[in-house]
Amino acid sequence: MRRTLLVFAALAVVCAGAVSAQDSIPKRHRRGLWGELGSGPGYVRVACSDCEDVIGASGTTSYFRIGGVISKNVLIGFEVFTLLDKGFGFGGKDTTVAETGTAAIVLLWYPGKTGLFFKGGVGAAFGQFSIPADTSGLVPADTSTGGGIGLTFGLGWDLPISRKFAFTVNAAAFVTALGDVVLPGHEVDDVIATNYQLSVGFVIR
Amino acid sequence: MTAPLLAVLALLQFDSVPKPRPLLAVGEALAINVFVNRVDAWVFNDDWAHTGPKWWRRNIRLGWEWDEDAFPTNMFAHPYHGGLYFNAGRSNGLDYFESVPIAFMGSWTWEYLGETYRPSLNDWFMTSFGGITLGEMFHRLGAKIRDNRATGFTRTIREIASLPVDPIGGFNRLIRGQWTAQGPNPPEHDPTTYALRLGGGIRFARRLSADSGFGSMGTVLLDVFYGDQVAEAYKAPFDVFSLRLLVTPQGINALRGTGRLYATNLNSPSGRNRHMLAVNQRYDFIKNPAQSIGGQSVEIGINSRFLMGNKGFGIRTALFGDGILLGAIDAPGTGFGERHYDFGPGLGARWEVALEKHGQRFLRVFSQLEWIHAVSGASADHVVNFGGIEGGFPITKHLGFAASSTIFGRVSTYSDNRPRDARDYPEARLLITWTKAWFAQGQPAR
Repeated sequence: MRRTLLVFAALAVVCAGAVSAQDSIPKRHRRGLWGELGSGPGYVRVACSDCEDVIGASGTTSYFRIGGVISKNVLIGFEVFTLLDKGFGFGGKDTTVAETGTAAIVLLWYPGKTGLFFKGGVGAAFGQFSIPADTSGLVPADTSTGGGIGLTFGLGWDLPISRKFAFTVNAAAFVTALGDVVLPGHEVDDVIATNYQLSVGFVIR
Repeated sequence: MTAPLLAVLALLQFDSVPKPRPLLAVGEALAINVFVNRVDAWVFNDDWAHTGPKWWRRNIRLGWEWDEDAFPTNMFAHPYHGGLYFNAGRSNGLDYFESVPIAFMGSWTWEYLGETYRPSLNDWFMTSFGGITLGEMFHRLGAKIRDNRATGFTRTIREIASLPVDPIGGFNRLIRGQWTAQGPNPPEHDPTTYALRLGGGIRFARRLSADSGFGSMGTVLLDVFYGDQVAEAYKAPFDVFSLRLLVTPQGINALRGTGRLYATNLNSPSGRNRHMLAVNQRYDFIKNPAQSIGGQSVEIGINSRFLMGNKGFGIRTALFGDGILLGAIDAPGTGFGERHYDFGPGLGARWEVALEKHGQRFLRVFSQLEWIHAVSGASADHVVNFGGIEGGFPITKHLGFAASSTIFGRVSTYSDNRPRDARDYPEARLLITWTKAWFAQGQPAR
């Protein structure tokens, strides 16, 4: 997690440098086929039916987007997002590895001439919770998966570095409804994982 | 608090020129929340409406959950409520896509700040997506009902008649002085093709009032066809839509709407036979004594028309695959808490073949298959099959009768060794109908 934050900070500095280069580059949003890849720190908060409280954990996120253009200010794309946390625990004592994600159709809307954009999308969600084997050998390794529906919304800023490339910074939330998650000894009903993400991405536009 | 806010909005909006006012749209969506919350708190003294910072902090900390509201509340009332948010945008000059965030924002703020309950994810889905679908249809229906060229009593009646479908649009027109002002109608008032069908009669079905045996009861039908799926080039979202409402003494039996989000020609627009690829947004609410199912969907497929001879006859076909963003289906004995239905996404497909004359379908055969994977409620997969045949036969220019026979079947498979649930619901309807249809430039159907 600390390494992720350092990488995120370093990329943010690079992005800040890119801002100064913007004046010499014609302002434009993405055109034609575009793609984007990024990563950054994230936080997942899991709620479930009959749970007295929510469980939260931080982790590393990554995403990939590819898409086209609907109009001058509106883009449509397909986005895959994942969050991985290695110290997650439903019960507070277990060391579940949690991975959640969405594969969604997203719309990016640029309300003005700047690189500011808003994002919204809907698609499929998945979650995987893996428990390593107990060192005593009494509890075997186990993996439970859940799947359902996901919503995402957020905002970002494109920072052009050339005619074809840009950096982008994003803040987004991903609400993923995963259904029931069955773990050794207990079942967690109607799981909803809400992921929050800060990221820096690289855009080919 | 609500009255001063509305007064400020009224002052700011006394302008009959429609231009985009995004901030006022946001303000109105928030004012709707404040108004509804205060009515529930002060008039009905509902405990859940007495919310405040303590509950807001709790809701933000804990986040989403699934709620236990009744099926009609979640699947009809919330989408209708969402339509109010959406039409705060539409009636303030925003287009379809610009009004979409208003619906999501209005619902999100209600869920987090408008109730003492934790925010409900199914409410956010249904209010937002359902509100967009119903809201755009109701916005266009409202514009169709109103007539800016009418005067006097007729004008007032039209303005009042539009209120149930578009109350926010009607309110904005009232405070802008547009209930009496003369002027041109918006483009939504004059679709190239438009058909309205009202019917009343009797329905026969198994399990209407008991667990077995056939029964009968009265029913009222309303069909709206706004635009033509294959005869019109795509102009804007919902430039073509259809809506069906079925009401019985037990309440709303069905409300189903499909609006065209996008379409493109697959062959020459001047060709005798036409094929158009379309992406539709769909709203479904079906509740009868045997089944409850509903949801928000997006579908993609092909609409075709094949002309026969020179007397206006033709065959129409539709073949679509769909994704259910979030659906709901009754699951007796399961559900979640006091709720006896499941929520989940799904996939499906539908087809239909219809015989038409001058765009009006008089015989239609159709079938639809949907699969819903529950993510709240039982651990289950539900498969629903709905199909049938419908006929409409003219007696005079406007009067006619309609007959239909449909069957609604479902199979639910539970992963917790619960027994498989297989049920069907055969139904027949006989109706006297009154139809009014317009073609281009308001000419009556030939």
